[in-house]
Amino acid sequence: MLTSKIFVKKTKRGGVMKVVREHYLRDDITCGSKLCCICEHTTSKQPLEESPFSRSSLCPRAHYLLPDTNVVLHQIDVIEDPVVTNVIILQTVLDEVRHRSIPAYKRLKDMLANPDKHFYTFCNEFNKNTYIEREPGESVNNRNDRAIRQAANWYSQHIKSVNIVLITDDNENRSKATKMGLEAYTVHEYIKSLKDAGSLLDRLANPLSRITIQGGKVLFPEHLPLSEIQRGIRSGKYLQGTFFASRENYLEANISVENRDSMVFIQGMINLNRSVDGDIVAIEMLPEEKWSCPSSLVLVDREEQQTEEDDIDDSEREVKNLVPKELRQPTGRVIGIIKRNWRQYCGVLQPSLLKESTRHLFVPAEKKIAKIRIETRQAEGLSNKRIIVAIDSWPRTSRYPLGHFVRELGMDLQKRIDLRHLDICSVDPPGCTDIDDALHCRRLENGNFEVGVHIADVSHFIRPNTALDKEAASRGTTVYLCDQRIDMVPELLSSNLCSLRSNVERFAFSVIWEMSENAKILNTKYMKSIIFSRASLTYAEAQMMIDDTSRQDTVTVSLRHLNRLAKILKKQRIQNGALCLASTEVRFYVDSETHDPIDVQVKELRETNSMVEEFMLLANISVAEKIKSEFPNSSCLRRHPAPPPSNFEPLIKAAASKNLKLDASSGKALSDSLDKAIFPENPFFNTMLRIMTTRCMMQAVYFCSGMLPEEEYQHYGLATPIYTHFTSPIRRYSDIIVHRLLAVCIGADASYPELLDKHRTQVLCNNLNYRHKMAQYAGRASVNLHTQLFFKTRVQDENGYVLFVKKNALQVLIPKYGLEGTLFLNTPDKGVGSIFKYNEEENTQSAGEVVFRVFDPLTVQLSIDRSNVQHLKLSVRLVHPYIPGFSVPPAREGQTTEGTEPPSKKKKV
Amino acid sequence: MAGLELLSDQGFRIDGRRPHELRKIECRLGVFRQADGSAYIEQGNTKVLAAVYGPHEVRGRRGKALHDKVVINCQYSMATFSTGERKRRPRGDRKSQEMTMHLQQTFNAAILTTLYPRSQIDIFVEDLFETTSIVDFNHFEESFGGAEVIVATLPRSDQIIFLEMNGRLHEDHLTAVMDRAIAGCKDVYHIVDRVVREHVSERSAAIGSEINNG
Amino acid sequence: MADIILSEAEKIFIVHGIQDNFREDGRSCDDYRQMELETGLISNTSGSARLRLANTEILVGIKVELEEPKPEKPDTGRLEFFVDCSANATPEFEGRGGEDLATEIMNFLSHSYSSETVLDLKSLCLVPSKLCWVFYVDVLLLECGGNLFDAASIAVKAALFNTKIPNVSISQESEDTELNVSDDPYDVKRIDVSRTPCIITLSKIGHCHVVDASQKEEACCLARLMMAVTAEGNVTAMVKEGSGSLDPSSVSDMMQSGKKIGQELNYKLLEKLKEEEQKGLKRQTVGFLR
Repeated sequence: MLTSKIFVKKTKRGGVMKVVREHYLRDDITCGSKLCCICEHTTSKQPLEESPFSRSSLCPRAHYLLPDTNVVLHQIDVIEDPVVTNVIILQTVLDEVRHRSIPAYKRLKDMLANPDKHFYTFCNEFNKNTYIEREPGESVNNRNDRAIRQAANWYSQHIKSVNIVLITDDNENRSKATKMGLEAYTVHEYIKSLKDAGSLLDRLANPLSRITIQGGKVLFPEHLPLSEIQRGIRSGKYLQGTFFASRENYLEANISVENRDSMVFIQGMINLNRSVDGDIVAIEMLPEEKWSCPSSLVLVDREEQQTEEDDIDDSEREVKNLVPKELRQPTGRVIGIIKRNWRQYCGVLQPSLLKESTRHLFVPAEKKIAKIRIETRQAEGLSNKRIIVAIDSWPRTSRYPLGHFVRELGMDLQKRIDLRHLDICSVDPPGCTDIDDALHCRRLENGNFEVGVHIADVSHFIRPNTALDKEAASRGTTVYLCDQRIDMVPELLSSNLCSLRSNVERFAFSVIWEMSENAKILNTKYMKSIIFSRASLTYAEAQMMIDDTSRQDTVTVSLRHLNRLAKILKKQRIQNGALCLASTEVRFYVDSETHDPIDVQVKELRETNSMVEEFMLLANISVAEKIKSEFPNSSCLRRHPAPPPSNFEPLIKAAASKNLKLDASSGKALSDSLDKAIFPENPFFNTMLRIMTTRCMMQAVYFCSGMLPEEEYQHYGLATPIYTHFTSPIRRYSDIIVHRLLAVCIGADASYPELLDKHRTQVLCNNLNYRHKMAQYAGRASVNLHTQLFFKTRVQDENGYVLFVKKNALQVLIPKYGLEGTLFLNTPDKGVGSIFKYNEEENTQSAGEVVFRVFDPLTVQLSIDRSNVQHLKLSVRLVHPYIPGFSVPPAREGQTTEGTEPPSKKKKV
Repeated sequence: MAGLELLSDQGFRIDGRRPHELRKIECRLGVFRQADGSAYIEQGNTKVLAAVYGPHEVRGRRGKALHDKVVINCQYSMATFSTGERKRRPRGDRKSQEMTMHLQQTFNAAILTTLYPRSQIDIFVEDLFETTSIVDFNHFEESFGGAEVIVATLPRSDQIIFLEMNGRLHEDHLTAVMDRAIAGCKDVYHIVDRVVREHVSERSAAIGSEINNG
Repeated sequence: MADIILSEAEKIFIVHGIQDNFREDGRSCDDYRQMELETGLISNTSGSARLRLANTEILVGIKVELEEPKPEKPDTGRLEFFVDCSANATPEFEGRGGEDLATEIMNFLSHSYSSETVLDLKSLCLVPSKLCWVFYVDVLLLECGGNLFDAASIAVKAALFNTKIPNVSISQESEDTELNVSDDPYDVKRIDVSRTPCIITLSKIGHCHVVDASQKEEACCLARLMMAVTAEGNVTAMVKEGSGSLDPSSVSDMMQSGKKIGQELNYKLLEKLKEEEQKGLKRQTVGFLR
């Protein structure tokens, strides 16, 4: 079976290293035809049909097609058509395609895998009858062409009853093949010869010869050959840069040149010289007297398509060289293209004046891309449709690049589970546009409940290693500021395509549990789905629906079930020792014009907040368990270490001052003793204790499961042995990774090497932790800023409580604003030493009769201290209890700071 | 993304072999006259010379000798021209030291060391052409997502005497890979075994004729 | 060195035989033993050769690399010799055991090739002071059967003959040089070895001298003269080695026969190499499989 003949391939790489590879030639490579009774076929490997139907008038006899590399690369859109079947793809061709275009390669592989296409890969390089060695003086391309002919010849000898038709646009290859007695045509010859080829001709890529106007006028200067460009770049004569077309003016562009601070400006059709946005181009600087500047005109290419003469009348539009010297920017012209960055473009056909015309202009959705000339006979059917077009070439004689129609756009549903029939709704804070999650609950026939958490399927849109993915990974999280948000993913995705808005179809990643009456999970399913949310509610709206007993619609009923189950879940969680910690969150009401805060409120917490939270926690825990079981080494999890006992000392001490004993020996004990610590006369006392407890905690962090022993996975605050983040992929990158892991678990998506690399995952987690912390800081800084803006014009007395007693100050909590301020006890500006005595043991500050202890109530006056212009700070002064020489008189109603100027109009926040 | 495809859709490796196929092996015994035993083996492009001296008395420090078994002394070196990029020295680098260790471990397990107490056997391996992997004893490489499993077995008993895994491999695949590797070991064994038998019969015939002529 | 120990009687037997121009293996004093030579057997080198001289086995691999010329010779390429004595030859070579011998061989090879007339090293320079070819000549000693120096030099010459330098075109504009390596594996350059030397070792045994001493003969030899001789009879390097002494007249005698034998050896070697070359691309290499 194994012909053990060693052939040696030598490759020179990186200068002069000699690479030697073994190459085995075999005698067991089959031809793949059902007709053949010579080869030892293993079943299922004979996709080529016994009697392929021929539509071609050129070759009416049954035949197999054998295209060369360039045909596959350039005409893949045609080859994909169902009409084209029974094709032999040589290994030589497959390899070359792979090296030259990954997208084309992937499409080719899809075709090979499609049984309806009857495509077969013939491993001619491994077959001892078809392998050829390169001859002295032969180029690689010529060798490959010869290999293709060799294989075609072998097939013709091997299968007599079906013709082998070589398809190649290379004249030399074709004539050599004909000489050998092979049947060979160009793609155009062949496709044209097909009966009812119909739209197929449209999709043929434009070879230069077909569309150019005969004797067409040369419109553009020639592009220099690459070797000349490279020499020029080395000598400094030319510069290499990336071409960025202007959004406003199609006759202008900028080139970003490496190691150059400012962009180089390009103006005018001739100077742009057929560059397309994103191309890597070579430019030549113009002499300084010809430098120009952006015209500040908005110019849209309105050229009517029927102007056949395709003239470029730059003179009319181009701003003549009257640019004053001081406005001139370094200006150049494109002299050659180093690398095209063409891809497929989405857009619409420009309405045509002549109905029968087959030549049309395609207008890309992206303004920076030039219009593309295509040929199509189905213009009528395509009008008003979004279509995809690819550029093939841009000859010197054509005003527009030439391209071909690829396909129409439509939604693709793949293997998603259709959940559009479910009454799903989302519950979020008011004004939320990036809706990550939605819920549903319904009673099953067996009396159990089906509860679904549906999370935006962000990983469907953000594919691994794309630019989007890299940027999102580096941002790590969306940053929420008081009146704005800095997105992790572009707004189109975050607020629209991914966001689970109501009354539109959206892709989701769903976790669906079957639960018993008392919230016991009976089974869990994970699936990629498509949903149709019935309503986007706020917490308040959802609460009202639940409370309004007159409402009995499905969404409301669903919410009530969820609410009831959530309460059970929460109770269980707390019984397990989960902590209920407090941190007051405030919400600023901002003047829409001045952006000045006009009111502050502590965010209200409703049952519905807790309801959504419970199910998110449950989903996160379920998913964490699932991914960890499949990827014990490379899961992205979140842990919250138990704090060392010493962390609790200040808390215990503070509680002790109120004769309370707190037990922080375990999460459960702490949670229980916090629940008991209630003073009816000071209802805020418990909240303060919880705020203080929060400060004793450690940071929760992301980590890669393979980097730590399992006992360290625990999440202390939630009292769960394992946890992750799955429910907010729009605003957290960790969730995207978790989505990808889960998708691999359930076979919904492919994995990629970095996903399973524990070191890479840990590095990613480290960044996410850093970003998360920074986002929190930014959020707090934003609150601080707004607090100051709010008090800028106000002097206000408010009730507060002593949170901490420090050596020279009291930390005061003002519940109304959720605000914490420092009341300094020594006022050096008054030239008097501190009148307060600090008792370290009892943790008190006293001045005469007045003693301050932790948790004591007091009244303070809030204003802005302007003594340091750089650092405006919130000044907290004591009003009550009154201490002579220290306290200030109560503020008058509506008092403002002295000398306050009226609020400035355009305050940027 | 255009990374190497280890296995094509058609089921061939880059060099045209199927996954279970070994590279071509050729082998010759008795290459050197001075050594007590020697062999040359080619597996594909990999070319290795091996010489065995001993059992003989312990060279160098006497203290090395073991009272109950023979000392197996191995050295693996690579010709400076054996690799794609020229090596600066033939031994002492990490790779050769690692290979030396592997040899040591394998042959300590494979040789009935108790037969020759207080003596020494030298095993020297000279690698002349290094391709992807070295094959001087049973080695089989299974490219499964880049993971590599090296196994040496005792062919008669199928006992594994050497096992090493590099890279990541899902636990579920391990058994399959191991089976593949052991099968590979067996294949190598059969080839080498045949060569040994041919060599022995040739030699005995030669000795026989010498006796007759003498 | 890999010496063998002989008894006094054995030594006398050998010495007396040589005095009668009759050596222990039947050769006369000027005869070489049977040689087996093959080139191009290590495909990832630029040139290679295997030489078996009776029981002496040498493998030479040459890799050519592009490097910067030495500052003192900015317009020439160079040869770098390296010798490794494999422990396969004898357990004594294990670890660093073979280093002394290796250095000795390496030094004498470098000496022999240090003369400017030997190779056209200037042709190996691509861009003065910037880029030149460096030949890394790696000699691997696999088995010791005597006369290692001669064997090494013959193998080196054969490997040099076999060396193929990839064709490199240099496009130079202003400061930068650009290297284009031909992607055609057949597009190669060769180096002229017609003036490279072979080492001839003449061993003084008793009152006579012999070439190509076997290991036993080497054990009887107290002094020897090693000389690098080119095809034209030029001597490019010479060294006297061993604990014994030589009188001036015998040095001159030895030089005369060394030159004569050297010229002949060079001639025959080149003839054989060309003969092998004639067999062309399809020649099957045997290597160690034989």
